[in-house]
Amino acid sequence: MANLDPRTKMIMVVCLSILALLYNTPAQLFLLFVFTLMLLLFFNFRLNVIGVYLKPFLALMLFLFVVQCVFSPSGLSILSVGQVSLVTSGGLLLGSSMVLRIIVVTAAAMLFTTFSPRDFILGLVQWKVPYELAFMVFIALRFLPVFRDELVNVITAVQLRGVDLKKVPWKQKLDLYRRLFFPVVYGVMLKAQHLAVSMESRGFRAYPTRTYLRRLNLYYADYIVMVTFLAATITLIVMGP
Amino acid sequence: MIAGVDEGWNMSKKAVVIRGLSYQYQPGGPFALKNISFQAARGEIVMVTGLSGCGKSTLCFCIGGVIDYNRNGVMTGEILLNGKNAGNIRKAAMALEVGVVFQNPDTQLFSPTVEDEIAFGPENLCLPPGRIQERVEQVINLLDIGALREANPCRLSGGEKHLVALAAVLAIDPPVLVLDEVMSQLDQSGKNRVQSVLQRLCKAGKTIIAVEHDLAAVAFSHRLMVMEEGILVRCGNTETLLADRDFMRARKLIGLEHNY
Amino acid sequence: MAFLEFNQVSFSYPQEGRFALRDIQLGFSRDGITAITGANGSGKTTLTKLMIGVLRSTRGTVCLEGRSLEEYSLGEIGRRIGYVFQNPDLQFFCSTVAEEISFGFVNQGCRPETVEEKIQYYLDYFELGNYRHVFPLHLSHGEKRRLAIASVLATEPSFLILDEPTTGLDAYRKRLLADLLIKIAGAGTGISLVSHDQAFVNRLAERVITLEKGRVVWDSGEGRKHG
Repeated sequence: MANLDPRTKMIMVVCLSILALLYNTPAQLFLLFVFTLMLLLFFNFRLNVIGVYLKPFLALMLFLFVVQCVFSPSGLSILSVGQVSLVTSGGLLLGSSMVLRIIVVTAAAMLFTTFSPRDFILGLVQWKVPYELAFMVFIALRFLPVFRDELVNVITAVQLRGVDLKKVPWKQKLDLYRRLFFPVVYGVMLKAQHLAVSMESRGFRAYPTRTYLRRLNLYYADYIVMVTFLAATITLIVMGP
Repeated sequence: MIAGVDEGWNMSKKAVVIRGLSYQYQPGGPFALKNISFQAARGEIVMVTGLSGCGKSTLCFCIGGVIDYNRNGVMTGEILLNGKNAGNIRKAAMALEVGVVFQNPDTQLFSPTVEDEIAFGPENLCLPPGRIQERVEQVINLLDIGALREANPCRLSGGEKHLVALAAVLAIDPPVLVLDEVMSQLDQSGKNRVQSVLQRLCKAGKTIIAVEHDLAAVAFSHRLMVMEEGILVRCGNTETLLADRDFMRARKLIGLEHNY
Repeated sequence: MAFLEFNQVSFSYPQEGRFALRDIQLGFSRDGITAITGANGSGKTTLTKLMIGVLRSTRGTVCLEGRSLEEYSLGEIGRRIGYVFQNPDLQFFCSTVAEEISFGFVNQGCRPETVEEKIQYYLDYFELGNYRHVFPLHLSHGEKRRLAIASVLATEPSFLILDEPTTGLDAYRKRLLADLLIKIAGAGTGISLVSHDQAFVNRLAERVITLEKGRVVWDSGEGRKHG
């Protein structure tokens, strides 16, 4: 079961994300979250790994939570300053829905990490997606970590030249970051260009089609899971929130 | 017997012909290459050497047909690959005429595994899966990198990356190979392996143009080209050139091993 | 006490089962030139990255001047140890060659009136004078290598680590580099270098450490073979 076709997993992610976007109440979203969590555990994800993936989104979630709480007041006032109610029961509910929604979508997207990017391309291409487009997505996915590594490298290199970033006053630090911005972005662009050149020099886009060393096969289990997920999603949508 | 004649004619044909090649990275800027002319036959290994910044890599980019990524550059002169004018070859079809291994091993590998990296070229050429598998096995055996097959190319050491990049180009099987310092980061056993592979390839009729600094690594080539500030100062039999110690010393090409 | 000391250090990259380095017991003093050699993939670069704290040991500790490297910030390590990366592209972050060279000493509080003089000295020695205002990533490979070395040397560290400093260098520049390293070592800076270049190692190194599959198999400093 853990060996489901990448396309099956893609369908699962899409279904979960659609439901997460349509659902509005914290209760529904929480159920969806529990279901997603169970799926991930089923695919041999450990809970602490899920935590690692969610961590970068914590700040964003907190920010959205506060914004929703404060700016969409409704229902009972829970905390107020003078005449202005800061936290309301409605705002609280909306805020928690927003946070749960992000968690569900991120958690669902983790299913993408259970198969190789190569299978991702294969899956898309075998579903008649033009291969240029599939590779574009693949390269974009590949370049995200490259960009992150580049930043880590530069920050390491700066410190290794004897600058203690933690002790630099923030004004000076800001100035340093401003100066580093252009060379780093330009460096990544140069690297992207070199990558494109080497892909092309190995015949990429030599012909309108290309062949593949491997093939993906859909098995009965894949069809069953796909149909179940799609049917369940449609039913839930039709039944209404 | 016409086929035989045809083959003989092909063998004698020059795989790479360069006439009056000049290149500027910016219009009006300094010349990275100045009026370079030379020819390389099928089955010949030509090494290019010279101080860094003398235009060796630029020459590789020109022959490899990848120089036009630099949009401001100005190229004059003529490059013939296997009898065809390189300017008329469709860009994407260049891979069939010439294979390039670049100097920086980090920006030419992008696949999730070494095996995929090698299969990338043959896949682009629309070979059937069986043939792709065959070629992958061939080059993996040839370069003896079976242990790296499932590794992520990004995580390899510098020398290993160069071996994988070379393997990926060999899998496309182009008649001309351009190698920009591929041996510089290899250990001695890696260098020996690459050297014997190159010798085998040239016996099979491939033309190899390779840049190297290490004079010990150029000794097995047929011909040596010495460049200086964009000019091809001398081109001749490798053995003769290496024996001309005064010339090599004057060009600052003799290293530590000969001076102390 | 050695300047840098490895105490039973092992290291494995996350997500990879095998150990890249295993049970390393080594000391590096602040005098002389040490070469680290070994086949491709034997763990040489990993060892140098542990020496400067870019990687943290999985088991065992690396000590700098008697204190665990974990207690230092990267900036503090950078002021003691200069590190030249294997791929020079990874260590450039300035807009021009001159800025790259001066970044270290300007930020470490060099007297303003000596800045220009120092830049000129390194531009001249590494023959980069023509490229003063060029974007570092636009240089040729050999020029990048020289700039990488120059910008690290300009910070005048008390210990210097170079990872494959000779790749991309021609014989003439190799000799210049060798002369400079000998001069620096003579002035009391410890140097460790990773290299395949046998002639370069023979010329420079007083001590040779050989790695094989992540273990030290030979250390001429101790004059004995390891198990």
